[in-house]
Amino acid sequence: MKMRYRYLILAISLLLFMTNAAIAAVNVQCPGVPDRKCVHLSSGDGFVQMADGTVLFIFGFSDVTNVINPQAVLSVGELAATFSAPTIEVSEGDQFYLTLTNVGMKMRPDLFDPHTVHFHGFPNASTIFDGEPMASIAINQGASLTYYYNIVEPGTYLYHCHVEATEHMQMGMLGNLYVHPSQNGKSINGFTKFVYNDGDGSTGYDVEFPLQVGSFDPRFHIANLEIEPLPFAGMKDTYPMFNGRGYPDTVNPGVLPSPLIAENNFKPSQPISSLITATKGQRILLRISSVSTVDFHTVTVLGIPMKVVGKDARMLRGPAPDYRDLSYYTNSLQLGGGETADVILDTTGISPGTYFVYTTNLEHLSNNEEDFGGMMTEIIIN
Amino acid sequence: MKNKNLFLKTRLLLMILSLMVLGVSFSAEGAIDGVISSSNHFTLTAKSGYIDTPEGGHLFTWGYALNNANMQYPGPTLLLKQNDVVTVTLKNELTVPVSIVFPGQPDVAATGGVPGLLTMEAPPGGTVDYMFTASQPGTYTYYSGTMPELQVEMGLVGAIIVRPSTNPSTQAYNHASSAYDREFLYLLTEMDPEIHRKVSEGRMNEVDTTTFFPVNWFINGRSLPDTLLEAPSLLLPSQPYNIVPRMRVGERVLVRMIGGGRDFHPLHLHGNHHKVIARDARLLESTPGTSGADLAEMLFSTTVASGQTTDAIFTWTGENLGWDLYGHSFADPLVSNETFAETTLLSSLSSNAFSTSLTVADASGFPATSSFRAIVWSGTFPGTTREIVRLKRSFGNTFTITGRGLEMIPLTQGNVEASNWPSGSRIAYTDHGRPVPVKLPDQLDLTNGMFWSGSPFLGTAGPLPPGEGGFNPNSGFFFMWHSHSEKELTNNNVFPGGLASMMIVEHPDPLIAPFADNPNITVVP
Repeated sequence: MKMRYRYLILAISLLLFMTNAAIAAVNVQCPGVPDRKCVHLSSGDGFVQMADGTVLFIFGFSDVTNVINPQAVLSVGELAATFSAPTIEVSEGDQFYLTLTNVGMKMRPDLFDPHTVHFHGFPNASTIFDGEPMASIAINQGASLTYYYNIVEPGTYLYHCHVEATEHMQMGMLGNLYVHPSQNGKSINGFTKFVYNDGDGSTGYDVEFPLQVGSFDPRFHIANLEIEPLPFAGMKDTYPMFNGRGYPDTVNPGVLPSPLIAENNFKPSQPISSLITATKGQRILLRISSVSTVDFHTVTVLGIPMKVVGKDARMLRGPAPDYRDLSYYTNSLQLGGGETADVILDTTGISPGTYFVYTTNLEHLSNNEEDFGGMMTEIIIN
Repeated sequence: MKNKNLFLKTRLLLMILSLMVLGVSFSAEGAIDGVISSSNHFTLTAKSGYIDTPEGGHLFTWGYALNNANMQYPGPTLLLKQNDVVTVTLKNELTVPVSIVFPGQPDVAATGGVPGLLTMEAPPGGTVDYMFTASQPGTYTYYSGTMPELQVEMGLVGAIIVRPSTNPSTQAYNHASSAYDREFLYLLTEMDPEIHRKVSEGRMNEVDTTTFFPVNWFINGRSLPDTLLEAPSLLLPSQPYNIVPRMRVGERVLVRMIGGGRDFHPLHLHGNHHKVIARDARLLESTPGTSGADLAEMLFSTTVASGQTTDAIFTWTGENLGWDLYGHSFADPLVSNETFAETTLLSSLSSNAFSTSLTVADASGFPATSSFRAIVWSGTFPGTTREIVRLKRSFGNTFTITGRGLEMIPLTQGNVEASNWPSGSRIAYTDHGRPVPVKLPDQLDLTNGMFWSGSPFLGTAGPLPPGEGGFNPNSGFFFMWHSHSEKELTNNNVFPGGLASMMIVEHPDPLIAPFADNPNITVVP
């Protein structure tokens, strides 16, 4: 009896302590240090519309960097998830402060999921900022965690939430992330923008476009919204996409209109166009990353040779001392989930017109049961 | 560190807890388990048995056993030396014919048995001998050449490692570019339980391997979390190999990857890039035999294709984190990998100067980032005055120091402010003594992983709520090495699991992080 009383007191004081201490709040850290770069993401849920009109429930990130009152992020970020997640661009030498605020899941109030950011491919990562939840920390709902990255290696990376990885990634917590080299701004062979610090302009380009290879299994998203058991084993993606859209939505140059459902507060959620435009003679950089949770994909560009100059955020050169040129021309680029490549399209000698970028996994040229669409977009050379 | 005793006690407690709760024993991880034959004669017996999967599955399996031991999945890893003349005797205790093919081994001679499509086969109850010379070092696989679309799925697959004649215990090939400190095997496979169920029930004519739909994925025959269980384990009598790679800071880890099934897997290594030095047991070299791996690629994910082997070197130093991963204070001595960019300032830098120049030769090793942190000091470190500066590397042949005192005020020894830095002072690019640049959230706002030490610093444990963390006895850095086809992080519809392992970077000091590589090597006559 005495013991039980003691436990009761302990339990009550613990509860009191927790209610007092858990003053979870939005906390953005962006100190005034040299070469600082700050981004604030919220994580939560939302909706997107597939190219055949189907609306799917997603988990995702939203860019709330410009929300002036940090506390407002908890409401601004509500049902604001976008797919693909906001593209993050930083530069070599940046001290990158990335704040993640977990706003919770409006449509799934039964879920207490924490979230993380995994900066996929970050060299010499530490565990605290790696976002892999078994080996690290994850942020609970209503609170913020600021990640710090000393940016030293240019290239094309990606980021995603690593919590319950299969579910959160299938649900859409996947974004483009790339690092510009310090060589940018220098003029080499007529270029001022480069993929890497190549020293010779071989990775120079005029215009760049991210191309995120991804896909959804609608049954998984429906089961999630309806609080049904999730079909992990049966996962089979039937909405293949570039940057979160299937063709022909990929070539819509603007932000896609919001899915027309009231729950979403009519927030647009698919901001990233995959329409690629250039002037004849320009070099186009495609920053291609695959975030597919199921399939390998092969991507081809019809009519313009693809020069692969980088893979997994490293210039395609061999090790010291020879630094042999490993770049190559191809018309088929195969990527598994978690792989990236830098592809340069030189439009010198290419006639003005429309060219197609698509997956040669031909069954993925579809939007679920709609036979024409899927993982395809257009390049317009003027 | 005044709390060292407490810290050691805590660590011991954690280690005991780990042993009790998970059954994780760190005594048998490391290096590559397998079998060595002093006469280069191995006897493998094809037999049936069961393997266990973490979600409770119990799959009827065919496997290669060593002599008359248990059926095992995968088959024994054969550890050979270059130019060994090897005989593998296959005995068949299955009810179907079976065989072995040795991809990448030239001139395999098969004697006995009965002719099959790809090679000589052992009929039920029969035997067959295969002989070959392991002429080239590298990573290989072996598997059944009889109905391989079914028999490999059923478990008849294994690995072969051929060690080079030059430095066989420290190099993967006969060239220094393949040198390593530790090595680990990643034999990746998958299974469709439906096929195993039908075979176990004898419904052979209902088995359709073209509708193959795997839902279990394996590294070295186990799925997460069994991948982390001790090897061998009484709990998994037919799955003797685990995968718990560990390394110390700065070591080179050779990762031997094999696509043992029929699917491709994008193997993503957290922590750092890895250098792919060889495929299918040949160095990626421009001039075979002489140039070394000069065509090596740096990747963060490797496509492990079916039937293909890939060798990569992984290393991790923690450099360029922008904060001190050991949690040093500024007065602590520099450790070796913090001085890697150390050079000598030939000109003097007065306290009022905001720039100076280094020659290219002096500055080599400094990062090409636009801005980074360095320490300037004279005499012996740390017994003299020193200052933290930020450097900016500019284009051209000189490198400029800017931003004196920008980040921190000039630091001093004995209350004397550094007035100038005489000729011959030294400068090191370093994060030594720099704190984590952000404030971590309140503990109640965090979910802590089971392998999280509670501290951002390597080799240091931090406070954790009861029941969280606790599986990281040395406070190492755990990095997940896993398939990035995230669907494969499940065990037959149960998340988490599947094709995943945890790699551990341990503190350089063996007193803080004691561990040794103790591979389980079976030696047969």
